[in-house]
Amino acid sequence: MRTVLLASLRTHTRRYVAAAVAVVIGVAFVVVTGMLSASARTGMTASVGLPYAEADVVVTGLDGAEAREIVRAAAGRGDRAAVIGFATERARVEDRLLTDNVRVGAVADDERLRWQEVREGRLPDAPSEVAVDVNAAKSDRVGLGDTVRLGSGDRVVEAEVVGLVDTPSAAPGTDFLLTFADLETFVDGLWVDGVVYAGPGAGSLEQRTDRDVVPAPEHVQAVQADITRGVDVLATMLLVFAAIALFVSVLVIANTFTILFAQRARDFALLRCVGATRRQVLRSVRVEALVLAVVASVVGVLGGTVLGLAIVAVVRRVVADDVMGTTLPSPAWYAAALATGLVVTLVAAWLPTRRATAADPLSALRPHDVDVRTTAGRVRVALGLVAAAGGCALLALAIASHEVVPMLAGGIASFSGLLLLGPVLVPAAVRLVGAGVTRLTGTPGRIATGNAVRNPRRTAATTASLLVGVTLTTAVLIGLASSRHTVEEEMDQQYPVDLTMTADAPLADDLLADVRATKGVVDAVELAGTTAELDGQGPVTLVAAPEGTTGVLRGTSGVASPEPGSIWLPDGLLTEWPEDGRVTVTVEGRTRRLSLNTGEGWGDAAVVAPATLARLTDSTTPRAVWARADDAADPEDLAGDLDALAVPAGADLVSALGERDWVDLQLDVITGTVVGLLGIAVVIALIGIGNTLGLSVLERGRENALLRALGLTRRQLRGTLAVEGLLLSLVATVVGVVVGAAYAWVALRTMVDAVADDAAMVLPWGQLVLVVVVAGLAGLASSVLPTRRAVRTAPAAGLGMD
Amino acid sequence: MTTTTSHVTPTLAATARGLTRVHGRGDAAVSALRGVDLDLPAGRFTAVMGPSGSGKSTLMHCLAGLDTPTSGSVEVAGRALDGMDDTALTLFRREHVGFVFQAFNLLPMLTAGQNIALPLELAGRRLTGAVRERHDLVVDVLGLRDRLSHRPAELSGGQQQRVAIARALVTEPEIVFADEPTGNLDSAASAEVLGFLRRSVRELGQTVVMVTHELDAAAYADDVVVLADGAVRAHLVEPTADQLVAALRGEQVR
Repeated sequence: MRTVLLASLRTHTRRYVAAAVAVVIGVAFVVVTGMLSASARTGMTASVGLPYAEADVVVTGLDGAEAREIVRAAAGRGDRAAVIGFATERARVEDRLLTDNVRVGAVADDERLRWQEVREGRLPDAPSEVAVDVNAAKSDRVGLGDTVRLGSGDRVVEAEVVGLVDTPSAAPGTDFLLTFADLETFVDGLWVDGVVYAGPGAGSLEQRTDRDVVPAPEHVQAVQADITRGVDVLATMLLVFAAIALFVSVLVIANTFTILFAQRARDFALLRCVGATRRQVLRSVRVEALVLAVVASVVGVLGGTVLGLAIVAVVRRVVADDVMGTTLPSPAWYAAALATGLVVTLVAAWLPTRRATAADPLSALRPHDVDVRTTAGRVRVALGLVAAAGGCALLALAIASHEVVPMLAGGIASFSGLLLLGPVLVPAAVRLVGAGVTRLTGTPGRIATGNAVRNPRRTAATTASLLVGVTLTTAVLIGLASSRHTVEEEMDQQYPVDLTMTADAPLADDLLADVRATKGVVDAVELAGTTAELDGQGPVTLVAAPEGTTGVLRGTSGVASPEPGSIWLPDGLLTEWPEDGRVTVTVEGRTRRLSLNTGEGWGDAAVVAPATLARLTDSTTPRAVWARADDAADPEDLAGDLDALAVPAGADLVSALGERDWVDLQLDVITGTVVGLLGIAVVIALIGIGNTLGLSVLERGRENALLRALGLTRRQLRGTLAVEGLLLSLVATVVGVVVGAAYAWVALRTMVDAVADDAAMVLPWGQLVLVVVVAGLAGLASSVLPTRRAVRTAPAAGLGMD
Repeated sequence: MTTTTSHVTPTLAATARGLTRVHGRGDAAVSALRGVDLDLPAGRFTAVMGPSGSGKSTLMHCLAGLDTPTSGSVEVAGRALDGMDDTALTLFRREHVGFVFQAFNLLPMLTAGQNIALPLELAGRRLTGAVRERHDLVVDVLGLRDRLSHRPAELSGGQQQRVAIARALVTEPEIVFADEPTGNLDSAASAEVLGFLRRSVRELGQTVVMVTHELDAAAYADDVVVLADGAVRAHLVEPTADQLVAALRGEQVR
């Protein structure tokens, strides 16, 4: 049998390419995942200990003020202490607004606790000196000697850039480093990771604070463990997508084997005639599968390693050297990837090889063509119906009980049912779509439809692989679009005004006109007001929301049109909620009790109805301008432009656009990542469709020749195959989109209804249409290679084919 | 009924008794063989003839252990085939039976030489000693020495059939079955192939049973079995052309 095996491998290698590619991609996916997680882990944990290297103990669980106390007390005792943490503040460089949220931290006062690497200049030693992270300096165009203004309102630090530093640590990255004395300005908003403490007093520190005090090495270990856990979670998520890709690979490989063996049925039968036992034939084809498995898995491992190294190199170059080490996955990981490739291939080959060798020797003697019509077995249909019905029942239960477990089980069961019923459903759908196509294209459409449905099992298996990818993609797209909708509604509530300028003195009269004229501003209103006295709150800017404010605001915040007799206060201004829910407002001796509402997102001003304001004062001046931005406007440019207007006017600009943009970006990144990862499974599926078409063309050589002899033009033959590819991919895609939408609906009802009643399902029509169009085009593309082969054969040569 | 001319032979290569074979079931049942009794002598070239649908191929398949009769018994090379399972039948064919088919005779991915050696390889026999001598003898008799490294696609139809004959003979089987071996060949190639089959009987002492519907082909045979409607109508020993034509026409032969 060895001669037969070797000759078979030599002859059929090219037909195995698609199956091999599917395995290679799946295995490479696993290896790349291992590589990235190993590299991220070493990269991120390697330098995480740096800030703690010289510390004896670390105090955690502190707020800014508590941290300050410890640092001061340490200085008093002659010990050394430094805060690891940052405040998020606005930054201006030379009057140019950078962003609203840079991270500002401090270097340790004591030399020995400093761990940053100076690249240029030096570290800050005195107040009004700042060092900037090299990467931030590069992207924000900040240089030595520049003047940086950090903070807003009355908490501002102005400092000169004295150094550029590298912070090779995954510990809280800071863009700007002040001395701790300067950082104390922001102590209220300071987020403290920990205070490092060294010196003789470290041992007794535990008695002097009620917060957690741990030895520095222990803290470092805890942080490293945290990072490792985070990386492991990411790696696990990636592996889920790898599993999906591998599942699709199984379908593609199984289909390839089934088709190949069907074509070789006469070879097998002849072998049986000349004396090969069933076991000999079985062993021979299994070894063939094994060889494929080994070669593809090894190529996948090597390819994955190379690809992983390339990705790591790109990340190190683009992001930062210290984000990733260059670490190969562990031998166990490699072994697992290799084993996965082998198991996937052999499992996929198991049934087809069994079926192939069931051929009886007599079939070699029948002179007819290899006819590989198959039908759906009754058992299969019954199983499919049971799985589908049971799955749907579980899904209904999931919706009723808001439980995730029955949802997952129901999803898997009903989808399995769908795949099992494929041989019945898919050809019916193909016929339906095909009828429409036939009306458009005539004969080629009819032949293509006939060809696409002549072998229901093969058609179903081919479309199943694409169905998996499209269903998941659709469900994810709809899920993310729906959550984006919910998030946006929440954002509208939280940030009703895009941009506000508020001043505690009258604004220039032409400011509103200037704001309106700024590129990117859709509309703006001016709010007149005065300075008022709130009981217990000190003076605040009190403005009235005029008519037309609603048009400037997003969402339906009540601040747009306050009820007469009520007042809206920013959350930050209120220290204590009055018992009766009312506050006393005094303007120039006139006093009113107003019912209190609080919220945020409109700057530092209290808002009342115009009528209410009129009762408090007769003379108002422009105090605030609220602007609505164009959705397409660049948040940073717009904020920069308006800031240039606000600063000379003495107004304080608050922009919510950055926040919106950030949330949008995150959702975009998630959508892109998930779709990209699922895309790998879709690519494998499309390779499978091209493969089925290609192999079918080989099988139908004689038929196609007959059609050509009977007058089908080369163009029409090409059209026939293109339509067949299109039909297969379109049916899979349309069914996938519908089923995916249904699953998304179930998931929404199950998981979101439990927390919010009105979560609407949002269909991202543009994206869904794109999915269908891309799949359709890919189906067309997958017919290109098979078509070339089919039309190259002259009719006479085809008819003579055996 | 069967008219058998008596013929004395020391050994029988194959015998069939009461052989029936029904294809399909119920209303669609078709009887391909209706109680065939047949003795095929060893060392002879026997042609099985008959019109289409007379059961020629079914008879051959049953005799070769490729098909299982509905009833009746078959004995080939002194062994009863009934009751053998698939593997036993395969091993039996491998050791005792050779095949030549009308078309699709060779594995396309193997060279002529590999195709010839295939049955030996399947049986795990090495090309050394007596096996090698036999192999070389067969290859030389069939004139294939300089064609061994060619693939089937590079050979003419006649050459392909010669390779198939060589493959059938290389294991020294007790009986060789040839199913319309000249069906796809022109007359020159047919004559060549039939000549080789006869030589294998005369010179190598093989037993060959050939199913054919061509009178020209049957003329190369020693004996002719005529089938009609699933039963043996005549078993002629070295018939003349007239006897043969008469038997095929359905006349009683004296």
